[in-house]
Amino acid sequence: MTYALRKVGLLILTLWAAITLNFFLPRLMPGSPTDAAIAKLSQNGPVTAATRKAIEIQLGVPDGNLLSQYGQYLKQVLTLDFGVSYTFYPQPVADLVGQALPYTLILVGFVTIVAFVLGTLLGVLAAWKRGTWLDALPTLGGSFASAFPYFWTALLLLFFLGYVFKIFPTSGAYGVTNVPGFSGAFIGSALNHAVLPAVTILITSLGGWILGMRNTMISTLGDDYVTFAEANGLKPHTVAIRYAARNAILPNLTSFGLALGGVVGGSVLVETVFGYPGIGYLLLKAVTNQDYPLMQALFLMITVSVLLANFIVDILYGVLDPRTRK
Amino acid sequence: MSSDDILLTVEDLSVVYEPDGADPTFAVENVSFELRRGEFVGLVGESGSGKSTLGFALTRLSKPPARISHGTILFDGTDIASIDAEHLREQRQGGFAMVLQSGMNALNPVRTIRNHFFDVFTAHGHVSRERREERARELIGKVELPAATLDRFPGELSGGMRQRVSIALALSLEPQLMVFDEPTTALDVLVQHAVMNTIRDLQASEGFTAVLISHDLGIVLEATERVLVMHEGVIVEDGPSSEILNAPTADYTRMLLSHYADPRAEVVSLPGFEDRAIRRQAGASRSAVASPEHAPTVVTRSISTAQESIVVEHVSKTYPPPRRGEQPVRAVRDVSFTLEPGQSLALVGQSGSGKSTIAKMITGVEKPSEGSIRFGGLDVAKLRRGQLRDLHRNVQMVFQDPYAALNPLHTVEYTLTRPVVNFTGLKGRDARQRVLELLETVGLAPVEQFAAKLPHELSGGQRQRVVIARALACDPQVIIADEPVSMLDVSLRAGVLALLEDLREKWGVSLLYITHDLLSARLITGNIMVLHDGAVVERGETAEVLQRPTDDYTVALLEAVPNPQRTRR
Repeated sequence: MTYALRKVGLLILTLWAAITLNFFLPRLMPGSPTDAAIAKLSQNGPVTAATRKAIEIQLGVPDGNLLSQYGQYLKQVLTLDFGVSYTFYPQPVADLVGQALPYTLILVGFVTIVAFVLGTLLGVLAAWKRGTWLDALPTLGGSFASAFPYFWTALLLLFFLGYVFKIFPTSGAYGVTNVPGFSGAFIGSALNHAVLPAVTILITSLGGWILGMRNTMISTLGDDYVTFAEANGLKPHTVAIRYAARNAILPNLTSFGLALGGVVGGSVLVETVFGYPGIGYLLLKAVTNQDYPLMQALFLMITVSVLLANFIVDILYGVLDPRTRK
Repeated sequence: MSSDDILLTVEDLSVVYEPDGADPTFAVENVSFELRRGEFVGLVGESGSGKSTLGFALTRLSKPPARISHGTILFDGTDIASIDAEHLREQRQGGFAMVLQSGMNALNPVRTIRNHFFDVFTAHGHVSRERREERARELIGKVELPAATLDRFPGELSGGMRQRVSIALALSLEPQLMVFDEPTTALDVLVQHAVMNTIRDLQASEGFTAVLISHDLGIVLEATERVLVMHEGVIVEDGPSSEILNAPTADYTRMLLSHYADPRAEVVSLPGFEDRAIRRQAGASRSAVASPEHAPTVVTRSISTAQESIVVEHVSKTYPPPRRGEQPVRAVRDVSFTLEPGQSLALVGQSGSGKSTIAKMITGVEKPSEGSIRFGGLDVAKLRRGQLRDLHRNVQMVFQDPYAALNPLHTVEYTLTRPVVNFTGLKGRDARQRVLELLETVGLAPVEQFAAKLPHELSGGQRQRVVIARALACDPQVIIADEPVSMLDVSLRAGVLALLEDLREKWGVSLLYITHDLLSARLITGNIMVLHDGAVVERGETAEVLQRPTDDYTVALLEAVPNPQRTRR
């Protein structure tokens, strides 16, 4: 219990540090959004101080010294008020993120978990049946599939399944005629749209999980406690699952935590290729349009999700490995 | 004897190692023997003799690349060399059990001890659900552990406790045959002694047939009634323990026996040490006579005779508590001594006695919490980087594990050239010349051949000689040897010990010898300090202290030395 409390304390501390960095880092950069806007305007003629003031008000440039700005910022973060997007003016950033987040979480998050579970199971099987076709097939197949560049696999799938055979839609998260909501038609359409990106992620990430699990499992199979369990005549599946796999999964949990943390930030490529309106797609737009409020909110989201994922894995570790509970 | 008395018959058994891409080698060749019910048999040999391979074959635990290539193992009438996996698994209950060498790692780190027992009960169904808690408590009591141990995870137990748990687990199978593979090798001297006593008591009370595999003829002769001696995959001698002790027939057995001696004797001698023992007894003249087997030829050496003393004054080391709310660990308490130039001093004690911590403080790896350590004009605790370099030029370590102390990717020559270039400033041809001299000094001839070898091509003893040569590369005044022979086979130990003594006598290097092995301390050191819980409990001339110990702890250490000559049971 003290272990979990300690981890919660640590999480709060790192969250605070991340939020603070997120506030100060952009302010350390030379130039400001106002300067950028004025630089553009000044190509057409001189800019008056009143114009500058007007732009500042429009962009919501805060008053006061750095400290009071920081206090203001903390309050805004806690109330999820991230200001107004420049690109999608005048929509609030919070709304944009709120719309995009479910798509990314459901698509990339779900597929990451499926890939981890499936890959781990296949890895256990491969290691246990080492040297047979149950080992060769997933190991070779997995590494072959994950050796393709991500976008290339995506394009192949798009071309054949989307364009040539027209089985799945080629872009978007749902059909143009559907209205988002809890209707059967919408959910069906959303699932249909999610298949290609999901399969792409699965194909390219599965191999890594299989290989990782297989290799750690092979090394735990050589450990003394496995030999001793066999010497004591435990049933083969007990030895494989409770002794070998149970210990082999521990180092892989760390990679799983990293992968989970990367779900929000790492989906740029997927969502761009498939025109999927998630966080990654939003981030791309924010960056290309120099949409500072949106960017700042997204960066914060990415940081927080990495921290949260690591927190979850830390807690899991505490549950699964008594040696970490000290 | 009637055939009912025979529990196990091994006939013409061969085990072959078939590694990928290498030639197969026979680890066990055409071995035949019988075990009677209730017998306690020792299986002795040095590393590579095939004794563990044979033990694994007896319990059908051989894994690839090892394979039983030929022969039968009749256990209670069934040939277990050829039965199928599921049948074999069922046979293990009430059949044969094994206790592994590294009992520390034989337990699943994420399962409680209770679950380990329950796993065995579930697998064989020989203990009902209602009775299993009771049975687990009973078993854990048999190995003299409290019932609360069942709630623990393996990581919360000491090495000795974990080995006891493994024994209890093996016992939970209610086996007729138990194979102990070096059950105490990884444990502390005093713990070793206690665990061996438990094994002997259990064997007497439970009446199972036991095979004790060990490299240590001393331990085996103390415990068993019959001994099989193995050498290069073949059983070279098989007979009652008393006969093997008093009238060994095989040369190999004789050789093994010759490496045992009582550290308390008036004159202590091992092969290669005969003349030394006499010399030491006669008042230790300084004219060194190297033993013929590794007499260094005349080598021009630049080594400087030690001039500086190591002075340790009232040194204590306290580590912060390992867990919250526990007491800080006082590893070393108020230790003072002086290592005079050219002197040899033994620091003895079991692990945790603080002897290695002292070595770390002298080499500047750890800083003392209190007190001071001086080497010549240097105050070791206050050294900066450059001065540490000076210290390490003069004070060098030889580590316990010669297998881990050498980078497997580099040749001997490369390993030795690094310190020569870094510390002596010699380059190119001169550096190479120096490397060859070093190899000659440590008795690795022909030097040209050894220089080109990689660590895996060397035996343990040869590797330790390379480690010593590396320590000598910068002309040190002091060598600190931390258990330098404890990982080596007995037949190799004497040579390395003799080398250390030669270095001191011929080149005037001071030697701080850290060990739990009193016999070797007696052989190569003039003075001794016995450490217990970080404090010095006894000190004096080595021969004097070991022959007439005054502290109970020293006596306990001496009692724990396996000694074939001691009256058994």
